[in-house]
Amino acid sequence: MARKRKKMEEAEVEANLIPVMNVMFLLIPALLLAMEVARFAAVNVTPPKFAAQADQKKEKEDKEKPLNLKVFIMDDGYRVSAQGQQEGAEAGKSADSNKPTITLAKPGAPITDFDRYNYAALEAKAKEYKDKYGHETVVTISAENSIPMQVLINTMDALRGSECSLLVPEGEDIPAECYFWQAIVEAGAG
Amino acid sequence: MTPDELFAAKKAARKASRRGKAEEEGKLNITSLMDIVSIIVVYLLKSYGSDPVLIMPTSGQKIPMSKADSPIQEGVPVYISKRSITFNNKKIVQIDENGDIDPAALQNHLIGPLYDAMAEEAEKAKTMAANQGKDEWAGRIILVGDQTLKFATLVDVMYTAGRAEYREYALCVIQSNS
Repeated sequence: MARKRKKMEEAEVEANLIPVMNVMFLLIPALLLAMEVARFAAVNVTPPKFAAQADQKKEKEDKEKPLNLKVFIMDDGYRVSAQGQQEGAEAGKSADSNKPTITLAKPGAPITDFDRYNYAALEAKAKEYKDKYGHETVVTISAENSIPMQVLINTMDALRGSECSLLVPEGEDIPAECYFWQAIVEAGAG
Repeated sequence: MTPDELFAAKKAARKASRRGKAEEEGKLNITSLMDIVSIIVVYLLKSYGSDPVLIMPTSGQKIPMSKADSPIQEGVPVYISKRSITFNNKKIVQIDENGDIDPAALQNHLIGPLYDAMAEEAEKAKTMAANQGKDEWAGRIILVGDQTLKFATLVDVMYTAGRAEYREYALCVIQSNS
């Protein structure tokens, strides 16, 4: 009797891991498919009313005339204005010209060609303004109705600066390479 | 003894030694394989769960490329593809081949059906935030558009979101290295 019990105790029961393995092997391709192939990022935009309040506050703080930089994306280029004055226009007239401040890099290219705008010239212009108004970070962007979203994003990239990285630890200042990184998107500005 | 004779002798000896013994069953040890697979599954599950928002573009949608590096913060995604606007996994509004919103759904920049869906979602989110004891509801919307999306359509969606009390907007982009 005692010998029989001993024999039973010795019998080792092995767990059948095959079904678990099957599930695991199915989970791997399922999770790989669900994973992000591309790395997503966000371009934060501010609605006009909040930005307007921020501008007023700033104006009260330093009593300096705000830059109020505006970029209007047109079919034939960019119209840039600052302090209510369109660049290149006669003083006192806010927008006396429908001609672009920065013309197309590829005139005659179709609207689906996103590289037809002169992003380098716009970035240079943004740098020029940033050198004069170091504390300014806000830009108002508007466009004609047919302008594609990719052009809007590229314009924001140019105004932000190609060397700009907003990935800074909390509490640290935004680097000087970032020009106008707070974009307000509004309809019919310019 | 030639090599052939030697081989035949060895074979015979091996056969003789095996005689009377039960054939041994080869067992596959899968414990180490199981360990590896478990580690892979845990890693994949962790990377899957670390994103605050899961962006699932609709078929044919080309998300704009950008040099922006700000991470996507928690918010409600709105998908604006070439042919439709999708919110909460429901196709809300159709977009025609010219990229314009169905005129029946649009009134003074307000996209009626989208506003209804957004306002309902905003109410739910506010109630949930209040139940969780949060002071304020973030009201963030993530606009997942297409490269060719017209500015007018984007503005209409933003205006509608604003009317539904969403206060923060983020444009979803794919990070480009160049």
